[in-house]
Amino acid sequence: MKTLLFLAVAVVAQAAGNICLSLGMRHLAAAFSADSEHWGALALLALTSPWLWAGAALLATFTLLFTLVLSWTDLSLALPVISVEIVVNVALAGWLLGESISPLHWLGTILVAAGVALVVGTAQDKTSLDQGQPA
Amino acid sequence: MIGLTIGLIALMVIADAASDVLVARAMKQIGEVTNFRPRALLKTLGRMFRTPSFGAGISAAAIHFFTFLTLLSFVGLSYVFPATALVYVLATAGAQVILKEHVSLRRWAGVCLVCAGMLLVSVS
Repeated sequence: MKTLLFLAVAVVAQAAGNICLSLGMRHLAAAFSADSEHWGALALLALTSPWLWAGAALLATFTLLFTLVLSWTDLSLALPVISVEIVVNVALAGWLLGESISPLHWLGTILVAAGVALVVGTAQDKTSLDQGQPA
Repeated sequence: MIGLTIGLIALMVIADAASDVLVARAMKQIGEVTNFRPRALLKTLGRMFRTPSFGAGISAAAIHFFTFLTLLSFVGLSYVFPATALVYVLATAGAQVILKEHVSLRRWAGVCLVCAGMLLVSVS
């Protein structure tokens, strides 16, 4: 339960981070097309963009949470579970960013969700720590 | 050129999977983290950076990143991205063989579905 809670928060942080970075880069791209000769001003804009800072902080949070989870659970459980991020990303990209999602993209997303559901069903399996294996 | 591309893609995928396995190994060596107060987390971060496997994992992640950038300089993202789906299978195999994790058939089936789904997402 603790593992899935940590991974759920990590996935939400990663998806939100990607959305923030995407919004930040769109603002930057708009500024770049309007004023493509002043690189210094653009760099300053990037460094002072709250979207980019929020995105970087959220992705750092994701990395920290995922790494901490690996201290008590199996990589073979945690790694596939965090791929559910793609489902959250596709949903958020369609809803918040207005991106069009192709049927093939949706099919892939459903396969990932099904795979994650299968893996989550094995969360009660013995971990390498339970088995006393040297990691 | 095709040989170089395939070689670099293989290096990128192996480095990514190796990074996951090495970081997981380092975290198991450190032991279960139970104190999440900021000061305790900073201490844990310090221990992580003093663990050789963690440093090796970070190095592998760097190799993955720079190989990825190198590939993008001469092939499109649509060629490179689908290959990243293989990382799930390779890292799971690494977890089973190197970290001695028990990976049930059901978990393997889930990993293969995730890999297939990622492949579809990346080619669409």
